[in-house]
Amino acid sequence: MHDVVLTILPLLFGSFLAILAGWTRSALVYPLGVVALALSTGFCVKLLLGVLSTGTATYLLGGWSPPWGIVFVIDTFSAGMMLLISGSALLTYLAFRAEIIEGFAEKTAAFVALLLLTVAGHMGIVATGDLFNLYVLIEVAALSGYALLGYGSGRAPLASLNYLCVGSVGASLYLLGVGYLYILTGTLNMADLAQIMLAAPVTASLHGAVAVILFGLWVKMALFPFHGWLPGAYAMSSPVAAALLAPLTTKVMVYVVIRLLIGVIPGAAIPEALPDVAMLLGTAAIFAGSLMAYRQIDQRRMIAYILVAEVGYMVGGMFIGNRTAMTGAMLHIFADALMTLTLFLALGSIARQRGEMVLANMRGLFRTMPFTMAAFVLGAMSMIGVPPLFGFFSKWYLLSGALESGQYLFMVGLLVSSLVNVVLFFRIFETAFFDEPGESVRDIEHWSRVTPLAVAAVLLIVAGLSSGLIVDRLIAGIIPASLI
Amino acid sequence: MEDFLTQLTSKYNFWAYIVLMMVGLYAMIAKGNLIKKLIGLSIFQTAIMLFYVAIGSKAGATIPILRDHTLKGVIDFVEYINPLPHVLMLTAIVVSVATLGVALALVLRVYDVHQTLEEDEILEKIKNP
Repeated sequence: MHDVVLTILPLLFGSFLAILAGWTRSALVYPLGVVALALSTGFCVKLLLGVLSTGTATYLLGGWSPPWGIVFVIDTFSAGMMLLISGSALLTYLAFRAEIIEGFAEKTAAFVALLLLTVAGHMGIVATGDLFNLYVLIEVAALSGYALLGYGSGRAPLASLNYLCVGSVGASLYLLGVGYLYILTGTLNMADLAQIMLAAPVTASLHGAVAVILFGLWVKMALFPFHGWLPGAYAMSSPVAAALLAPLTTKVMVYVVIRLLIGVIPGAAIPEALPDVAMLLGTAAIFAGSLMAYRQIDQRRMIAYILVAEVGYMVGGMFIGNRTAMTGAMLHIFADALMTLTLFLALGSIARQRGEMVLANMRGLFRTMPFTMAAFVLGAMSMIGVPPLFGFFSKWYLLSGALESGQYLFMVGLLVSSLVNVVLFFRIFETAFFDEPGESVRDIEHWSRVTPLAVAAVLLIVAGLSSGLIVDRLIAGIIPASLI
Repeated sequence: MEDFLTQLTSKYNFWAYIVLMMVGLYAMIAKGNLIKKLIGLSIFQTAIMLFYVAIGSKAGATIPILRDHTLKGVIDFVEYINPLPHVLMLTAIVVSVATLGVALALVLRVYDVHQTLEEDEILEKIKNP
């Protein structure tokens, strides 16, 4: 069978089998998820190696050739994204074994099924080469995501409902824009559309369609000022759902916009004012995200606001309009996903021992949970942008790209947000290092939680050191030569 | 004014979908009751479906089943409506039903936790538990 489908099929089958197993043998549910995610990750590695050696892989759904049928198109960048998605989902799933099995009681099977489904949806978004199929997969990923985020107690359902309302409007706006593109070109296939749009006359409705599509995707990726749903959704929900979705959802939406910008929508079709607006919003997101992160008491909420700032990094980078900045934005998708994963996994382990994630509850953590804190420090240093961690390299590309194009305000934003991150994380380090843990604290570090976390943290160093290789092999070939 | 009126009457389907869309968006923003918000969301999504259905239709055309199945002669595309947007909307209807289902399930959970569906009352309860 074809490698492309093999990456997604285990997840779909796994989610059906998980529900079946939930009825008959509930002990099988968790292992089924491990097998599905591990198979998917394995096939993603195989796919990535295949794409690196033989070039872009295409899969025709049902054998219908484009532009009539739906195609999955995997180039080096999307293969990297697929591996990132399945790999980070696998690490989250392994690290939160206890929560998944105990935390949801009889609903574990449904939770595992939804989790596999949302991962499959995210991978489909990356793989598809069809605009309408993209909408459907965005909704598949998002709907199962809303359900996962609603699992928590207290305010989680309300936060998730909020996210659902905002997210559905964003996706609907995207659908509306696709409708206009369909009127103008008569096709939904991305490659075909790109060809037709090159020759199509540039009209107001073309500009309108592109603007509505991008606007809808900005809402989905929580770009300031449409970020309102994100902190609530990721800070109120169960730590499993937050750690699974925080590294994926916004990053995959950024991927979609980059894909459209470099592969589908020609420069002339983008309204003239749009890049400036995007730069403005991106810069505003960095400042506002950093400021609001500084004011948070709950540490998970604080990281959620840092995510808002990170979205600003990537949106700014892709609209600066030169090769270096675009490389930076693409590299930052990987970097941001990895460091968010590390931080959320570490916070999840800490929250299990200490309860509510306020600064006062983090006293003496370096003594009681040294490995978890070491990983947390690596994730935090990467967020700040300390070499040789991954976050430094993507930020370096973004900064040099901004310098090339004279986007000084954006540069100031990048530097200010790094400084704010220094303050935010050193506040935690200070409390966790110097303060006494207190008499009643009995923290346990179990290897089954530390190992996935350590893998994520070590990957930050490995990927950082090999970021030149990632740019050469995965990213450079994707950016069109016309972008200088 | 004259120009505007002719525009309005000649493209009334597009105006209708825009009005519906704004009604839905208004309900989502202005209404305090969570169920009313969801009704607004449904109206919003339905407006976009109607837009798609509108772009597929043609005056004087029929359903796209070829009358002469031996395909003799030329098929005149003016005689048949474009089925693709309609098929796409079948999928979109499924998506919007699923969205509504998930949303109502979440509303149930919200009611379990807060014992009300009015947003201002919920926020009040969160502030002063």
